[in-house]
Amino acid sequence: MSKKTHLDESSNLFAQEEAMLNDIRCRLKDYSAERRDLIPILQMIQEKYAYIAPITIQMVSDHLNIGACEVYSVASFYNQFKFNPPGKHPVKVCMGTACHVKGGDIILENFERKLEIKEGKTTPDREFSIERVACVGCCALAPVVVIGETVHGNMAPSKVEGLILGFQIEKEKQARLKEKQARLKEKRDADENGN
Amino acid sequence: MKMEINQAFDKICKDADAHIKRLSLIKGPRISIGMATCGIASGAIDTKKAFEEALKEQGIDGQIQTVGCIGHCYAEPVVIIDHPDSGFPPIFYHHVTPGKAKMIVQSFLIDGDPLFEYLLGATKENELIPQIYDFPRFSQEKRIILQKCGIIDPEDINAYIDEGGYSGLARAFQLAPDEIISEIISSGIRGRGGAGFPTGKKWGFAREAEGQDKIMILNADEGDPGAYMDRTILESNPHQILEGMIICAYAIGAGSAIVYVRSEYPRAIEMISGAISQAEELGLLGNSILGSSFDLKISVFKGSGAFVCGEETALIQSLEGERGMPQHRPPYPVQHGLGNRPTVINNVKTIASVPAILNNGGDWYRSIGTKDSPGTAVFSIVGNVLHAGLVEIPMGVDLKTLIFDICGGIPDKKKFKAVQIGGPSGGCLSSDFLDTPIDFDSLAGAGAMIGSGGMVVLDEDNCMVNIARYFLEFTQNESCGKCTFCRIGTYHLLRILDRITKGQGREGDLEQLKTLSETIIEGSLCGLGKTAPNPVLTSLRYFRDEYEAHVLEKRCPACVCRSLTAFYIDLDKCARGCDACVGSCPVDAIFTTKNRKKGVDQALCVKCGECQVACPPEYNAVIRVSPPEKAPIIEKSVN
Amino acid sequence: MSKIIVDEQYLEIIEGTNLLQACLENNIYIPNLCYLKERKEKNASCRLCFVEIEGMPKPVTSCTLDVEDGMVVRTDTPAVRRLQRTAFQLLMSVHEVDCAHCPANKKCELQKIARFLKLGLKPKGLDHSLRELETDHDHPFLEYFPHRCVLCGKCIYVCKKRNGRPYLTFAGRGLDTQISFFGDKDPLKLPCAECLACTLICPVAAIIAKTDT
Repeated sequence: MSKKTHLDESSNLFAQEEAMLNDIRCRLKDYSAERRDLIPILQMIQEKYAYIAPITIQMVSDHLNIGACEVYSVASFYNQFKFNPPGKHPVKVCMGTACHVKGGDIILENFERKLEIKEGKTTPDREFSIERVACVGCCALAPVVVIGETVHGNMAPSKVEGLILGFQIEKEKQARLKEKQARLKEKRDADENGN
Repeated sequence: MKMEINQAFDKICKDADAHIKRLSLIKGPRISIGMATCGIASGAIDTKKAFEEALKEQGIDGQIQTVGCIGHCYAEPVVIIDHPDSGFPPIFYHHVTPGKAKMIVQSFLIDGDPLFEYLLGATKENELIPQIYDFPRFSQEKRIILQKCGIIDPEDINAYIDEGGYSGLARAFQLAPDEIISEIISSGIRGRGGAGFPTGKKWGFAREAEGQDKIMILNADEGDPGAYMDRTILESNPHQILEGMIICAYAIGAGSAIVYVRSEYPRAIEMISGAISQAEELGLLGNSILGSSFDLKISVFKGSGAFVCGEETALIQSLEGERGMPQHRPPYPVQHGLGNRPTVINNVKTIASVPAILNNGGDWYRSIGTKDSPGTAVFSIVGNVLHAGLVEIPMGVDLKTLIFDICGGIPDKKKFKAVQIGGPSGGCLSSDFLDTPIDFDSLAGAGAMIGSGGMVVLDEDNCMVNIARYFLEFTQNESCGKCTFCRIGTYHLLRILDRITKGQGREGDLEQLKTLSETIIEGSLCGLGKTAPNPVLTSLRYFRDEYEAHVLEKRCPACVCRSLTAFYIDLDKCARGCDACVGSCPVDAIFTTKNRKKGVDQALCVKCGECQVACPPEYNAVIRVSPPEKAPIIEKSVN
Repeated sequence: MSKIIVDEQYLEIIEGTNLLQACLENNIYIPNLCYLKERKEKNASCRLCFVEIEGMPKPVTSCTLDVEDGMVVRTDTPAVRRLQRTAFQLLMSVHEVDCAHCPANKKCELQKIARFLKLGLKPKGLDHSLRELETDHDHPFLEYFPHRCVLCGKCIYVCKKRNGRPYLTFAGRGLDTQISFFGDKDPLKLPCAECLACTLICPVAAIIAKTDT
């Protein structure tokens, strides 16, 4: 990666964070400053951004006029709140009773092995994260995995590799498409300049 | 006043009736698709799309209606087609994939052939097709709570009203609050959240409690793994719950109510929120309900995923924006609850039973079920059972009838081993208990409990130690960490069970499991800790031989615990020429020797069982044994 | 005044006094870790202060009861001792027993309870295991030792009382619960240097002041 794109990316990240903070600041106005609104506020941030960044905890504590540690204390108690951004394709392995009886833990292990991360973690390229979840409510399809919004029922260890491969192929396809477009554009630009 | 209320309600009923009549005037077939979470997960969205496309392609005028869940999860996606012109009654189809949907449109709606191979039965009596209500899965049920689930459109308040909905509320308003409470007391209904406390008594305490601003909370923080009836009811018939809540609030004198529902249930939240606005529009909620002097506001609060918040004091903590840690009782919430106000917290199933009690009277309710546990119970039956799903039965039906007659028994001719009732706080019962009637006290007497109504059927291929470990891992993960016994005690129980399933069990482990379990039950602060050891204690009591096999012989009798089992390929059965097992192995542990023998590298094998599935049934050559030493060793390179 | 009998001793106590408090004030020791006289909501989390009361079927925590006239209390029955011993051993099974290097040595509440219950500091029969926790150590004035902490919550209470809001709280859940100083670590914005109330109340030296050395 060239130095220029690296810089671009970090300034891009900075801009993203700034946008997130502004957005949350705006949304906070819809909530009262009473303690009972703490969990609904945290849910709003979690639902919108899929995680709760430390800097947003400070914002929430200012809004409710309570200590940041009190906000963190509550947020860290509940399963719903995450403090790290998930992968682009969050893999949620159902650990409900029916899935357990049908070998849900073996499916989880296969994902951990193929992605080389443990449950609760995200791959270094931020493509995948693995999470155990309570019953997702499709017991008849056990064992079940939810990737993004899609439910994959009747999972088998041998299907794991295929699923991951599918995403990787899709990504490569997108990358090739992007490259092709970039090349076309370059060519067009060059042609235009040539003219 | 009473007359005005009746008039207001009559008008609502007339409007609803007119609305439903208008809908039924639309020509053509009506297709109802079950679209609760379970249906959607099984592909109901694609099925719906396929129907829409097929109708359009064929140019058929028809309506597609989404309904909730009828509780027949084994059959999802489920579709009911009412096509009067065909001469057939409304037909219930099961496992309707998009392909089948297109075929049904072509064959049934155009050619008039209902495709007998895909249908389960008719939903009305007729002479052509057997009626589903004659099947044991329907006929032996008694539906009060689930009565309209999967039948009516949950997003249309008129559909509920047209089926007699909100008439319980209209009747409640004819009574004084104390009269309602006596009606509930005389019904004998006990709380369906697990503990079985008499609901009428609870309401009475709250009514008598000093303090203004009383509050009613619906506990829909259903967290048991494998129990999903509360979600289904919220998704399939939210108005029945609202009606029950309004009656409760009126009886105890509460001006506000809260639906506390897990955030993992987005569709249930959507349905109940939509139902609240519809009820407000019709004047069934809000200020001076039905023209009376009673005001009620209902809001929705999303639980953030902590099992312990199903405990009422923890639930209140989380509503107040705190960590959901249970508090010592007394004081009880009916005296000092949310914000110190008198608070009634009722489970979804309890509240959903209330409208029917008001409509039919307490004596009617008491005539159902048993003397000490009147009414019905809803179970979500999963695991190794043929017709898994939601079942509502009168209390007192025995376990055998429920599992074998109503739910079709165990698939694949396997032998029944145990049934786990009540989720992580319940217990495992062996076949000796199949005659046990299902009611609060009989199950508690056997060491299990109705709990939230989760029921897992286990067959000979399930390991009881593994199941106990599973539930304990769940409660240990969900322990709030406040009190010593639950925080550290369950951790040690889990460690011991973990060791046993890995073949590292020690002498004295079983005794320690027992004594530690008993002390945790006695010493814990809240219901979570007091019931967490139940799965261990009951499985230890009824399946001690399995525990002993693990500890003493390092053997898992059901061949489940992975450290205690090994796979091998029976060379007498193996076709040798086929490589199905080799291809299926996710870790390349299966090898072929020079003379085409197949072997399993035990050091690499992760015991996922894929090879056993892959091996063609005519060979069936992959064998799982316990202890692992029983697997013959095949050398990789034979010279 | 209510007349009660504790272990055959006749006591006269002001009606409504907390039972544990009444016993402690009359030199009847009942093991406890999380009880604080001035805290209104009783924590009842350490599960050590069990007693048996005539007319009640099972042992109960004395910190959650108020004295009532005619109460007959026993603090030393086998059932009580069994619960106390198990609770104590559970606490010790996740406690770092290194008294020689611990500032609480000789004034530690756990040592006192062990002596009282005639138990060793290393639990028998239970695996000893220390949790793997990510603890931050960047507080300018305070140091926290999660493997000493018994999660009694006294520090949070006194901090909030002293400073109007807590500067430390519980974080995490279940076995992973620990005390966290999450928030602004700017020394100028923290009252800790002057306060140190948490270090004074901690019964096991899980929170201590950072020394400049």
